[in-house]
Amino acid sequence: MGMCSVNARSVEHPDRRLSTGVSGGNVLKDKYGKEIEDILSRYPVKRSALIPLLYVAQRDQGYVTEAAMQEIAALLRLTPPQVYETITFYTMFNLKPVGKFHLQVCKSLMCALVGSDTVIGWIKTKLGIAPGETTADGLFSLSAVECLAACGTGPMMQVNEDYYEQLTEDKLDRILSDLRLTGTSPLKSGPFMWPEPVTGKSET
Amino acid sequence: MPKHELILLKNMMQPGYTGSLPDYEKAGGYQALRTTLGKIAPADVTTMVKKSGLRGRGGAGFPTGVKWGFLPKDYEGPRYLCCNADESEPGTFKDRQLMERDPHQVLEGIVLACYAIGAETAYIYIRGEMVLGSKILEHAIAEARAAGYIGRNILGTGVHVDIWVHRGAGAYICGEETALLESLEGKRGLPRIKPPFPATHGLYNKPTVVNNVETLANLPHIINRGPEWFAAIGSPPKSTGTRVFCVSGHVKRPGNYEVPMGVTVRELVYEHAGGMRSDKPIKAFIPGGASAPFLTPAHLDVKLDFEHVAAAGSMLGSGGVTVMEEGTSMVWAALRLMEFFYHESCGKCSPCREGSSWLVQTLRRILAKRGRMQDLETLLDLCKNIAGRTVCAFGDAEVAPIQSTLKYWRQEYVDLISEAEAANLIQLEPAGRH
Amino acid sequence: MPDSTVPVVRLTIDGMTVKVPKGTLVIEAARRVGVMIPHFCYHPKLKPDANCRMCLVEIEKMPKLQTACSTPVDEGMSVRTATTVVNDAHRSVLEFILANHPLDCPVCDQGGKCDLQDFSHQYTATSRFAETKRIFSKEYFSPLIETQMNRCVQCLRCVRYCDEVMDVKALAPVGRGTMTEIKHFGPHPLNCEFCGGCVQICPVGAITSRLSMYEYRPWMLKRVDTICGYCGDGCQMTVQTKGQELIEVNSAHGAGRNNGDLCARGFFGFHAASHPDRLTHPLIRRNGALVQTTWEDALEYVAGRIRELKALHGGNSVGGLISGRCTNEELYLFQKFMRVAIGTNHVDSSARYGHVNALHAMRLVQGTHRWTVTFEDILNADVLVLVGTNITETNPITGLKVKEAVKKRHATLVTIESLLPVVDTMSNIANLSHHHFSIPPSDLQNGILGLLKAVIEENLIVPELAPQYPAYVNAVTTALQEFSWQDLQRATGIEPDSFRHAAKVLAAGRKVIVLTGPVLLRSEQGYAGSLSILDLLILTGKLDQPGCGFAPLAEENNDQGAVEMGALTEFLPGGCFIDDAANRERFSTLWKTELPPADGASLVDMLKHAQEGSLKALFVVGENPVASLPAPMRAEDSLRKLDLLVCQELFLTETAALAHVVLPVASSMEKTGTFTNSEGHVQAVRPSIEPIGESRPDWEIFAALCILLGVSVEYQESKDILKEIRGATSGYGALGPTPSPLKVDGRAMDRYLREGYYPNLEMRYRLTPQKSRPDGTLQVGFGQSLFHSGKLSTRSKGLRQLEDRGQLRINPVDATRFALMDGDRVRLCSSAGEMTTEIKIVARVPQGTAWFPDHFGQTALGLFDYAVDPITHVPSFKTATVSMMRVA
Ligand SMILES: Cc1cc2nc3c(=O)[nH]c(=O)nc-3n(C[C@H](O)[C@H](O)[C@H](O)COP(=O)(O)O)c2cc1C
Ligand code: SF4
Ligand code: FES
Repeated sequence: MGMCSVNARSVEHPDRRLSTGVSGGNVLKDKYGKEIEDILSRYPVKRSALIPLLYVAQRDQGYVTEAAMQEIAALLRLTPPQVYETITFYTMFNLKPVGKFHLQVCKSLMCALVGSDTVIGWIKTKLGIAPGETTADGLFSLSAVECLAACGTGPMMQVNEDYYEQLTEDKLDRILSDLRLTGTSPLKSGPFMWPEPVTGKSET
Repeated sequence: MPKHELILLKNMMQPGYTGSLPDYEKAGGYQALRTTLGKIAPADVTTMVKKSGLRGRGGAGFPTGVKWGFLPKDYEGPRYLCCNADESEPGTFKDRQLMERDPHQVLEGIVLACYAIGAETAYIYIRGEMVLGSKILEHAIAEARAAGYIGRNILGTGVHVDIWVHRGAGAYICGEETALLESLEGKRGLPRIKPPFPATHGLYNKPTVVNNVETLANLPHIINRGPEWFAAIGSPPKSTGTRVFCVSGHVKRPGNYEVPMGVTVRELVYEHAGGMRSDKPIKAFIPGGASAPFLTPAHLDVKLDFEHVAAAGSMLGSGGVTVMEEGTSMVWAALRLMEFFYHESCGKCSPCREGSSWLVQTLRRILAKRGRMQDLETLLDLCKNIAGRTVCAFGDAEVAPIQSTLKYWRQEYVDLISEAEAANLIQLEPAGRH
Repeated sequence: MPDSTVPVVRLTIDGMTVKVPKGTLVIEAARRVGVMIPHFCYHPKLKPDANCRMCLVEIEKMPKLQTACSTPVDEGMSVRTATTVVNDAHRSVLEFILANHPLDCPVCDQGGKCDLQDFSHQYTATSRFAETKRIFSKEYFSPLIETQMNRCVQCLRCVRYCDEVMDVKALAPVGRGTMTEIKHFGPHPLNCEFCGGCVQICPVGAITSRLSMYEYRPWMLKRVDTICGYCGDGCQMTVQTKGQELIEVNSAHGAGRNNGDLCARGFFGFHAASHPDRLTHPLIRRNGALVQTTWEDALEYVAGRIRELKALHGGNSVGGLISGRCTNEELYLFQKFMRVAIGTNHVDSSARYGHVNALHAMRLVQGTHRWTVTFEDILNADVLVLVGTNITETNPITGLKVKEAVKKRHATLVTIESLLPVVDTMSNIANLSHHHFSIPPSDLQNGILGLLKAVIEENLIVPELAPQYPAYVNAVTTALQEFSWQDLQRATGIEPDSFRHAAKVLAAGRKVIVLTGPVLLRSEQGYAGSLSILDLLILTGKLDQPGCGFAPLAEENNDQGAVEMGALTEFLPGGCFIDDAANRERFSTLWKTELPPADGASLVDMLKHAQEGSLKALFVVGENPVASLPAPMRAEDSLRKLDLLVCQELFLTETAALAHVVLPVASSMEKTGTFTNSEGHVQAVRPSIEPIGESRPDWEIFAALCILLGVSVEYQESKDILKEIRGATSGYGALGPTPSPLKVDGRAMDRYLREGYYPNLEMRYRLTPQKSRPDGTLQVGFGQSLFHSGKLSTRSKGLRQLEDRGQLRINPVDATRFALMDGDRVRLCSSAGEMTTEIKIVARVPQGTAWFPDHFGQTALGLFDYAVDPITHVPSFKTATVSMMRVA
């Protein structure tokens, strides 16, 4: 299976080459003007809106393009390097495209104690990708990430915006096939589906 | 039936409780707001919180009322409250539950704190990954705003409090309060030099209080039931109230357990979390998140409160209790945490930045059986040279796993290295690569 | 400067007692008693960041070691910097810093001046680090600056300097933890002001200059402290040379008026002097061609021709024009040569291009020929007003003073500039402005009038004024009532309230300084504008207050010197009017000769006389009228009519190519003398290399010609001339630190307020109507680029890498309107002529306007018409309305 690498979620082996998106100018502003204004209205100092606006840009393209950074810089009266220094500090921003589903398995100690390495192993066998790689069809990227505040329900992973907790091999299979088929899976956490502490292991 | 009275988790443990505004109101929610705003002087609210003995639940355990008291009294300009919902300490997952399951409890706490310190704007800095949590909070804020609990002229009292959810974007260090402020200002999350403290020079250089989610969630209860009631719970006088302990690792029922401060790990593990997963004995545990030094079965009866855990050589920290069974490799465990710290060091201070990479590489080498005996001295020396010499407490935290595992399980390191050295005699493999 | 209001605290450092102002940092207090605490990230110019952790010290009663760079002193504090614990800490931090360092000192340009290297020796650092080192992949950074990120110690001094001092924000620390590296924006090469500050402030070899890569080791170089020859800021710099080779320029923190800061011209522009095209031999025209000759022949020839022409047509058949780039000694001797040896008052200098406008205004209103304030006053001002300065690009270091005053000392900034406040990685003073009025260069006066009108109508006039000078106040008030707020708004597009707010701030200020620069001074409104600025200061009661004043910025490095040395037809040395009998008398005595008649010709008139045939000979020293004056002035044509054109030049310029004799001269890198900067600070210029070829300092040529013409002068070296200057004018006694500025002359001001204001008052208070510009046209003018100064810098290989051709700067909206992209070629046509050029899109250029850098202006001269100020005789380019068309 062919692979390309993803750069998100790791500061250890950063690939900071930028990809250029469709031209700069007012792309975001034209598309999300209302939302941008709403974001700006929350802060007395413009620069505070930087991370929220980068999220808007990332939602738009799946990653933050250079043009978007320039547009946001202009919106906030920052220089592009000021945007760049901030965006590269945080792991959640992608500077180039990642797979449609970004599987992020927590590998920190607490999840590792309850089998996160096994989960990564399953994914490797099922999808043929190791952390840092994307499937050839561009559907899945895999990253091993640090603690996601779900240590009581490990092993777990985050796929795009959703958490999937108490993973078993079965559950993983169902999640992957759900994702392929419908783009999401009912096995994700919430709303209000936090496993009860007392019956912690119950499946929903 | 839980053995102890629940305070923070009480509502959400009711069957069918959704955390919606009507549910919260039905459970007595926003009563504290009604009895406080415009009725109790802000300074008196601070006094009540001081009296309750409430200490920060974010890690450092600083007395909350005292912190509020540091704000300049006569300052004219705006002040801010930042709710620290960055919860990124490995082993900690209580704030997430508090926000997702009973968001209004947190919001009510925020409004009360804002009232006490005179802030009209609060930001909830939530870690970026918790998308669900941020959506739940935003929904709850909208509900509360519509009901007049948040916004301009709350309940007609003339008090204004706006609350905004601000998502981080993946950086553990942004839980450190000054890094949080930098991040909230749209910058890289690098901790600031202190002093000055946020109380005088915080967000946008204005007087600011940063409080943890759990800390704030306690406030409505302190108001409703009185500081004396709160001060009697737990291990008075210094560790009052309950703690939501996040139990993880090799236990049967990992999860959040709210108990009065001062219960023992033994009780937590065997009475609440169902005992050990494979019924093996406990080999090690961390009492307060990844930054707290490991403890041993000899410490199972240490009372989980600030003083006793500190006296035992660790810290209560964020309340993340991770339990490891017999058979766990402690060198491996130390490496897993060290990798976390290496990944998350912001890079500001040379000792932390360079030391974390050095420590990780050395541990990896030892674990890969390419260690040398002198590595152990070097490890300890590096730890000593990092701790206490950095801008923020991260430097102290990152050395905890290595120092404590070397203290209690040195033999595991020695065994790995002895094996390596024996093999080396035969292979003469060059050291220092991996 | 010790500030008496700050209490002093006493502490001990290693047992030594030291008394310092409260708030001083421990590291600075230690320096006072000679204790150097090792550090990387600390720099006195920057806010403490305490990131390197190298400066740890023990402080009694504090449980942990503290960083000396961020800890302020306290009364009774006891600091130890050399205990075992502290030494161990230093050694351990150093070990960390060295862990990932490549230890490539043998190939590092910082070797020999590297803090890391020095501390490693001091602590005999050994490393136990045996793991894999971090390696950054190498990326191209910039044409002039090289980065080697593996050497970076991540102290962020470069990034902090770029932001805090320069306000440029072009550098970004990218990534996190050990993988943090300094970049610009993504993979793009650095795009910034190229001040060289990051190179200078990097404590290791991570950021170095490509101009001097691998060329040297510091101990192989000779160092000379001198003054930059590019602009009127007068920065001190250290030129480092190896033999005749110019290797590097830098400036030590604390040095000079610039306090160690430089701009691109100072830092990267030094190679102009060693350009291969430098003239090395005298040239003489034989059979129509310039051929090499000897100094004897050339000088004999010139002296002989002058003697003939003088005999035939009198002294007034000869004129002279000198550049404000020459030293004071040369400027002085030049005018003396003209006035005494030749007997003519046809003397002019490049100060005529604009600086003179401000000079005449100052002379008239406050009776001085210099500022009444200093750079220190700028730093201490509470209100700063900038009018037409284009300060970042024209006078960058004065710009830094303004930035510091605004950013660190909270001065309020009012700007009447043509720029738009747009953020990019070139600082823009309008971004720091609290009250910005964006007004086109040709109408700047409107902005001043707006403030004046607001002062009058908001009753901000200082109460003492009207009773004492009712006629003046009346006249001004009446003149300003001639137009309405609506008229003003129509002309400027600016709300009256904006002027009112700014005027209130100005009137409330205690220390108010108005700076102006070439954009105003070189325009048609240069003189009128200067007068109205002075009126503004008088009406608000500021002009004669301490710390307040009017500060015109000189564009060329010694324009101010040119004025003070009398290299202008109307002035004798010391800014004395030559038509004043007492002055004439004094100088006649000093020079032991009759002075020529006072009515000399300025540049414009000299050209006219040449055209008409009454001027037969012209000395042109370091000036290039053919390539700098508006085409309708027909400079070339006039010069061709001369019987004798003598050019003293570094290069064979367009003007020199017409000369009968071309004399090669030494650049300011090769000679001794003094320059006077904008604020009137006289500073020593020292040679760092020998004169190139057979070139000689200009003063030697004047001295030789004097002797050949029978005037005995005895100057062995330029110092002898300086001695004479000291006898001729005040202010040249000591080349010391801060000059004590002149004071407003009360009698002159009184004279002005009684009657001096009257002539042309109404005219100068007339609103300039907004020019109606047909659709599809632009308003084009000349401007200055940060990367050049005059035309000299266009010979510098470093600066050519930043800007090697003239490009027309236009606004992005206009670019879209004309369907143009960066780099497209366009043809511009005005009523006067046309040109073809390339465009560069720059967001800070206001829509509908465009500017072309005058450093490459030869090709653009044809577009412009010109005007001459009737009083100051300053010739100015009028902005041109041009149509623009894309060409292939
Ligand atoms: C490295 C580091 C990480 C931290 N992370 C968190 C965090 O994720 N959540 C939190 O509430 N406090 C965290 N803290 C503690 C905060 O700095 C701060 O003490 C706390 O938010 C104050 O709130 P409290 O007084 O209510 O506990 C962290 C501290 C350090 C040094
Ligand atoms: S101790 Fe580490 S995490 Fe904290 S500021 Fe320093 S480098 Fe950053
Ligand atoms: S000089 Fe003090 S920490 Fe760097």
